[in-house]
Amino acid sequence: MSEIEVRNLHFSYTKGQEVLAGITLDLNLRPTAIIGQNGAGKTTFVKLLKGLLKPTEGDIFVKGYNTKEKSVAFLARYMGLVFQNPNDQIFKSKLIDEVMFGPLNIGQDEKTAKRNSLEALDLVGLRNRINENPYDLSLSDRKLVSIASILAMDTDIVVFDEPTIAQDYRGKEKIKDIIRYLKDKGKLVITIIHDMDFVAETFERVIVFNRGKVLLDGDTRFVYSYRDKLRTASLEQPYVMQLAQKLHIGTPLLTVDEFTDWFNKR
Amino acid sequence: MFFMKIITVEHLKYKYPLSDKLALDDISFEIEQGEFIGIIGQNGAGKSTLCQALVGLVPNFYKGSYGGTVLVNGINVSKTEVSEVASHVGLVFQNPFNQITGSKLTVYEEVAFGLENLGLPVEEMKRRIDNVLNLLGLYEFRDKNPFDLSGGQMQRLAIAGIIAMQPEVIVLDEPTSQLDPQGSEEVFRVVQRLSEQGMTIVMAEHKMEKIAAYSDRVMLLHDGKLIDFDIPKKVFSREDIEEYGVITPVYTRICKNLDIKDENGFYPITIDEAHERLEKIL
Amino acid sequence: MRTLSLYQEGDSIIHKIDPITKIIFVLITILIPIIMGTLNSAFAFLIISLTLVIIAGVIKKVLPIVGFTSIILVTVIIIQGLYYFNNRTPFFAIGTVVFYKEGLLYALEIILRIYSIINSVSLLMFTTKPSDLVEALVKKGLSPRIGYVFSSVLQIIPQMMSTVDTIIDAQRSRGMEVEGSFSRRIRAFIPLIGPAVISSLIDTKERAMALEVRAFNSRYKKTFLNEGTTFKYADVMQVSLISILIISIVLRFVH
Ligand SMILES: Nc1ncnc2c1ncn2[C@@H]1O[C@H](COP(=O)(O)OP(=O)(O)OP(=O)(O)O)[C@@H](O)[C@H]1O
Ligand SMILES: Nc1ncnc2c1ncn2[C@@H]1O[C@H](COP(=O)(O)OP(=O)(O)OP(=O)(O)O)[C@@H](O)[C@H]1O
Ligand SMILES: [Mg+2]
Ligand SMILES: [Mg+2]
Repeated sequence: MSEIEVRNLHFSYTKGQEVLAGITLDLNLRPTAIIGQNGAGKTTFVKLLKGLLKPTEGDIFVKGYNTKEKSVAFLARYMGLVFQNPNDQIFKSKLIDEVMFGPLNIGQDEKTAKRNSLEALDLVGLRNRINENPYDLSLSDRKLVSIASILAMDTDIVVFDEPTIAQDYRGKEKIKDIIRYLKDKGKLVITIIHDMDFVAETFERVIVFNRGKVLLDGDTRFVYSYRDKLRTASLEQPYVMQLAQKLHIGTPLLTVDEFTDWFNKR
Repeated sequence: MFFMKIITVEHLKYKYPLSDKLALDDISFEIEQGEFIGIIGQNGAGKSTLCQALVGLVPNFYKGSYGGTVLVNGINVSKTEVSEVASHVGLVFQNPFNQITGSKLTVYEEVAFGLENLGLPVEEMKRRIDNVLNLLGLYEFRDKNPFDLSGGQMQRLAIAGIIAMQPEVIVLDEPTSQLDPQGSEEVFRVVQRLSEQGMTIVMAEHKMEKIAAYSDRVMLLHDGKLIDFDIPKKVFSREDIEEYGVITPVYTRICKNLDIKDENGFYPITIDEAHERLEKIL
Repeated sequence: MRTLSLYQEGDSIIHKIDPITKIIFVLITILIPIIMGTLNSAFAFLIISLTLVIIAGVIKKVLPIVGFTSIILVTVIIIQGLYYFNNRTPFFAIGTVVFYKEGLLYALEIILRIYSIINSVSLLMFTTKPSDLVEALVKKGLSPRIGYVFSSVLQIIPQMMSTVDTIIDAQRSRGMEVEGSFSRRIRAFIPLIGPAVISSLIDTKERAMALEVRAFNSRYKKTFLNEGTTFKYADVMQVSLISILIISIVLRFVH
């Protein structure tokens, strides 16, 4: 059984205008990026996975449970979602309470919840600020708080909606590390993101959404080799790959390190 | 060609109320008409604060303690009402979700909001709105409620609303954070075209490859201070640049790893420059 | 997205009439029956506004309002029928309780007036886009700031409701059970009021800045994208409506 099974999924906000038009796929343990043009239906798709929206047709199974039949709170034990806008998520006046809210809700005891929360805050680098009010933090730090409060729930599946927005280079590195850490812990990480180079460095599988359908799906290197198809979905290849192609290098190189190694071994 | 100084900032200092540290610390610079200026720096460096100081929201909206002068197009912005400054300087904010006016029912009318306030004739309004909606790929959504747009569509709308007003200077604070790759490329292209037509552009961004390719000069901020203000090549070739929490463009990093410099001792910063250098070696 | 607007999309002749003419019509349906003070005038205006409502095709929307008001109006019949100070002629009796003719007639007049007001106000609200209405008023000299408050309330309140939805979604996502019994939903909702308020305060502040940079308070004379519903006969209709009003006042004083 796959962690998540999506079968013939259709969805529309207003009758007659399908935002998702027939999606069938399985999500397994490989870190997976969902990319696609603005308005392609990515946010809608993860809200459906989470049970916040219900399919107008088709089914979604999370850990074998049909999202139509279970409450969002029930599914929360298995899947955490970090919202695109952290302001939507934050609601306690102390950082530590904010982060402990989810773990306590899904039945962790006080001690475990506290331990997980501190560990999560450590990962995002905010452990020394646990008594501050989240509303006083900057947008980029609030984003990190919202990430920590999902990590602390220790769910098997973690979904990020554009986690790198407003982050500088160090913040992005931090998020990269977190995704790798989650992978090593055997969790399924799914991320919506517009940063192609970040994807190239961090994810093993890439799914391209285009006008409510899956245009491409496969290994990162494989998906990124389809330059023209990516263009039709308003995407681009990672910068390193663009350079490699321009130089007529036969090997598909994804990252700065790959490029440097290739060059030095040439 | 005669270049006119359009922005002059002298010894600008600013502290938010209830804060004990300077968000802008003695900043001075000049910008010429038609230039495309990039602002870079790590989180909290002061980029947004500087952007807001250029239209006078800092200090007129936030209050706090303020020193120095900001002159834009001859107007002393701290002594002028923001709505007055607005017809000369436009600002696109960092967070697209809160830039919708909330009084208009469609995307089309939303863009009209600023134009109505400027008192433009209807024909002119419609011409401009059609033009920017096409420019930003929003034309097919013109009858949609602005609140029902996706994140990226909303950000496009925020940019459209300001461009349509055709101010002499446009300040953009991370305007492409939610855009798909081609969408952000298009925004950079549109903005560059405007600057070629004489509009002055100031843009805060974390996308270094784009800043390197499009801006005439780059401003590096750190801890509220202006560290450097020079052509992108020079700024990205600084050996200490990572100490300011800024990463250089991918192409620069590759060339740095391979120790490839141009005859002036600078690293290539764009794909074309990197290509040119590497092709010779390969 | 939900809106507070009552506007019903349509292309009847009534939809095409400009907002100002409709406002004048509402005023007249309120004023003339009062000025004339006769049952006939009240009845006439009810028939007129009812006919217009039917022409506009919004009768289905108006009926529930009429129905709801009727419940309240029953009390008017009872009170006036029993206690109107001019009551002299007994009309009928239920047991020992006597209803008088004068009171009942007076109640009828009130009821006719109220129904005709409901009809004409509904006509205005159901067939006029709120933005057109506000713009028409601003053009007539209403302060644009007040105009903005009117039209943004229609948009931002529903927007705040969706903020609350988003916040609830975010907490459900973190395992808070809000589905189920009423009391459970209430208990889940209470801790979210604070964040909803804070979040809309932050929104309001940022939105205020966004309005400023769109030159909201500029000194230029504002223009309007929508010319408003340009209605050929607006002037003629407005002049005739106002003439009718004046004639009714004159008639009243002649008598
Ligand atoms: N509440 C809503 N009501 C109606 N239409 C909506 C609503 N939310 C989104 N849409 C529309 O559905 C489509 C998909 O939106 P969605 O938010 O899933 O896009 P996305 O892929 O996440 O885009 P982005 O990259 O810009 O965030 C868009 O065309 C959008 O305009
Ligand atoms: N409203 C405010 N009140 C008090 N301090 C503030 C406020 N806004 C920003 N600051 C502080 O001012 C400094 C500069 O912040 P600013 O938002 O300008 O940085 P930035 O370069 O735009 O960062 P980012 O990349 O995260 O957007 C920071 O130390 C920040 O904490
Ligand atoms: Mg989205
Ligand atoms: Mg900023």
